Amino acid sequence: MENPLTLLVVLLLFGGGVYALAVLEYWSVAGQLAWGRPARLVLHLLLKEEIRPRQSDTVLYETAPVLFLAAAALAAAVLPWSADAPLLGLATGALFVNAAFAYVMVAMLMGGWAVNGVYAMLGGWRFLGQLIAYSMPLVMALTATVMRAESMLPARIVTSQLELWNIVYQPIGFGLFYLAALALAFLPPFDFPVAAGELAGGVWAEFTGARLLLFRLGRLLLIMTLALTVTVFFLGGWQGPWLPGFAWTFLKTLLVAASFFGVGRYLPRLRYDQMLEWSWKYATPAALVNILWVGILLLL
Amino acid sequence: MKSIPHYLLLLGMLVVTVAFALVLYLLKASLGKPLAEPGKDVPAESGQLALKPAWVRYHVHYYGFALLFLCFDMEMAFMYPWAVVYKELGITALLDMGVFLMILFLGLVYTWNQGGLKRQ
Repeated sequence: MENPLTLLVVLLLFGGGVYALAVLEYWSVAGQLAWGRPARLVLHLLLKEEIRPRQSDTVLYETAPVLFLAAAALAAAVLPWSADAPLLGLATGALFVNAAFAYVMVAMLMGGWAVNGVYAMLGGWRFLGQLIAYSMPLVMALTATVMRAESMLPARIVTSQLELWNIVYQPIGFGLFYLAALALAFLPPFDFPVAAGELAGGVWAEFTGARLLLFRLGRLLLIMTLALTVTVFFLGGWQGPWLPGFAWTFLKTLLVAASFFGVGRYLPRLRYDQMLEWSWKYATPAALVNILWVGILLLL
Repeated sequence: MKSIPHYLLLLGMLVVTVAFALVLYLLKASLGKPLAEPGKDVPAESGQLALKPAWVRYHVHYYGFALLFLCFDMEMAFMYPWAVVYKELGITALLDMGVFLMILFLGLVYTWNQGGLKRQ
């Protein structure tokens, strides 16, 4: 935040990135690049009739979309874009990112419960199960990067990768984090809570108009933030030749996000009980092995 | 104490998010009200109107995993400070946490062995 101009550039890049992600998401489904579509969708959702399900829980119904958006936005705030522009240099950054991501599940569960519909409810409970599956690999992979940097400050984690990026230093951790990130943003192989075609929209089935708009925007923000997290913690953050730091962060983030959408095109949806099983039988032990691996490398 | 302005900024972001949502709702409300028609506000249920409320007791099939998750989540609370000082303490830190993790890991293996790692 030392330089207000850099801050402005970073904010513009973040906003532009979110818009580009909306275009990319449609491209991954329909196979065409429609640049005006997100703007049209916003207008469409604003003009759409807003129906509120009967007997809904007012407090949860109103909180869920806002909390969802806020969780993604707050996590993004502590991640650095370049050496001189950490939006917020929080000393417990890695922990804070984690804490913010945990609220994604809370918001989805709230939304599922609030509307008093069976599909939404099932979606919510499924996402709770999903959290139990993805949470351990996500957290443990993050911890291993903290071990290497000896600090939870995200900027310090980036500078710890000067010699060798974490994707090479701890490839198991990267793989686990990547998959866990997909599950956290409920992207296609793991899209249980909204499961179009199976749960008829799941948690989002009963949300219309402005509230659905908030959910959709929050989802895109979440994907952007997760891609940024992968960039900062595993892909060397702002490091790269020729271009300024924030440009590298932006490019890497967009590439990671595009790969998120790409993965979903080629994989069928799993079952959440299979995901739980595989996560605890293979992913959690692998995450522990990764911590041991990093621990031994650091002591050598 | 140095981080208090940071937390204030985060609080400010939260307020801005809420304000953004409110502005959006106001904009939405200014564009007209929904028509009151019968059956419109009933949650979707495969083409028919939902007969019962959905707030019923639900069998959470993953309760075994949830218990395991609690143990491991507690362990994570210790992992964070440990990870920060790990390099400084060296081999002692590795052994200390290694014993702790081994006990937890044996628990996981035991659960697997007893058939706890499948849908109940």
